[in-house]
Amino acid sequence: MELGKVARLASVRFSAVLLILFPILWAYAPGIFNVYGFYLVSAYQVPALSLLSSMQFLLPLLVAITSAELLGMELSNGTLPTVLLRPVSRSQWLLAKLLVASVYPFAVLALFFVVSLLAGAPYGYGSFVGGTGLGQAGLLGQGTMPAAHALREVAGAYVVAAYSLVPVSLLGVLFTVVFMNAAGGALATLSVLIFMQLLVVFPGLTPYLLTTQLNAYAKPVANMGWVAALIALYCAAFAAVSVVLFERKDF
Amino acid sequence: MPTPSIEVDHLTKRYGQRPVVRDMSFVVNPGEVYALVGPNGAGKTTVIRLVAGLAFPSEGSVRMLGANPHQEPAVRRKLGAVVEAPAAFYPYLTGRGNLRLHGRLAGGVPEERVDEVLDMMELGNAAERRVGVYSLGMRQRLGVAAAMLTRPEVLILDEPASGMDPLSLHLVHSVLREAAANGTAVLLSTHHLDEVVAYCTRVAIMEEGALIDEVNLLDRRERYRVGVDRPHDARALLDTQPWIRHAAVRGEEVVFIPAEAGVIGRVSAALAEAGIAVFELTRDIFDLRGYYGERVSNERSRRSGAWSPDDPRMTGEREGEA
Repeated sequence: MELGKVARLASVRFSAVLLILFPILWAYAPGIFNVYGFYLVSAYQVPALSLLSSMQFLLPLLVAITSAELLGMELSNGTLPTVLLRPVSRSQWLLAKLLVASVYPFAVLALFFVVSLLAGAPYGYGSFVGGTGLGQAGLLGQGTMPAAHALREVAGAYVVAAYSLVPVSLLGVLFTVVFMNAAGGALATLSVLIFMQLLVVFPGLTPYLLTTQLNAYAKPVANMGWVAALIALYCAAFAAVSVVLFERKDF
Repeated sequence: MPTPSIEVDHLTKRYGQRPVVRDMSFVVNPGEVYALVGPNGAGKTTVIRLVAGLAFPSEGSVRMLGANPHQEPAVRRKLGAVVEAPAAFYPYLTGRGNLRLHGRLAGGVPEERVDEVLDMMELGNAAERRVGVYSLGMRQRLGVAAAMLTRPEVLILDEPASGMDPLSLHLVHSVLREAAANGTAVLLSTHHLDEVVAYCTRVAIMEEGALIDEVNLLDRRERYRVGVDRPHDARALLDTQPWIRHAAVRGEEVVFIPAEAGVIGRVSAALAEAGIAVFELTRDIFDLRGYYGERVSNERSRRSGAWSPDDPRMTGEREGEA
């Protein structure tokens, strides 16, 4: 039921348009060499380029806006009290919203991945000399990259990127519970992310920051266990605080 | 005595230091229609939300069918409510779609029941239209339809008549009256005093978050007045009759409540037999509007310090006398 509502959100449609336009524009942008210092040679490099260009700001922003709107839509329609009057516990209802908010980054990244891959069609889907941009050797690579390996590398990075966006999504829900409006929820989430990015001046904190985990998609697989646990901890904390606050809210 | 459907006990709600509901207590029994009236900002909506379990009391308690609605959400299976004015729905879904959604949230309602409530609220023709294009009155009727969907034992409605044309208003009145006749307890807030007099059982008058008076409208509807030459003798006589429940003097008249139907004829006969001249005997139509206005302005005067403790209207004597 909650998933059905997501498709009707204005922010979801807006995000879909951006996520479709972005890879197409980037795949054929004339200034890629000037900015990134390389030429695209394979379709598998386009998803990597899309991710590298959007993971720091665009994707967290889109995810935060939609997750805030998940609850904000119920507030603006006035349907939240109506729903809460039915024999569903508040925590049950919010957990359904949190679940949708957790799945949403995967849906966003899946669309982004497919469109990026299709946008790179003119570069070909075969093996190529160079790298996807997401492996250890970057875009230059180490000789010939087999197509299957490239696909696996890019797809894996997208899964990790989606996973690292889940706490951002849950933070959007948490702040909407706090402010009881979607704009407040989305802006507060972005403020926190920007604030965290500024905390890099404390090197001891940096490995634990949520914003640091947004780069996890480019990390070696060996370090993933620790990163996955930290992201899970962020998710659990944001979800728990959301539920506790929501349980005590007056409507 | 049946278990009350709604029990509100010393309910207080504060936002910060500001109390918006002060020490309110009342009960609503099965089959009763209980109305909350009061000026804007009196706290009616807050009481409705507290009783429905949408807001938490600062002090006191609310029980619905013997359960705390916050701790036992299952009790809401027996609740139908409209707490937004106009009633809130998903604008992109049709009227039927919204009711189906409500049905699913309530644990499942057969499609026939959806058709039934749509027809009951005369929305059958608009059922397949998106709610976004509904008029205010249609939304309100759909709200009542959604509230009636599960055949609730308790109905809570905030301003159900808001934005309705006279025909829709009449329809909602009939539906609520019928629900009450079938044993549903109805709690509503309203500004329409005429609708209150027409079908409510009791009315609570609120001012500044406090319940300043509660009037039993059943008694008021059953009240008669008789103009006589010796009102005090007439009252003494009527008060001793087993078929008179209560009699009181009001100016040159005696106001009385019969204990049973069909005794009005006996009143003039008994008075005539005692040598008391009867000038007029008629039903005493309760002027709620006037009564409400007086009670609220007296309460305001009292709060501002202009109230006299001898004012009988403030001591509860009025209710006892007439």
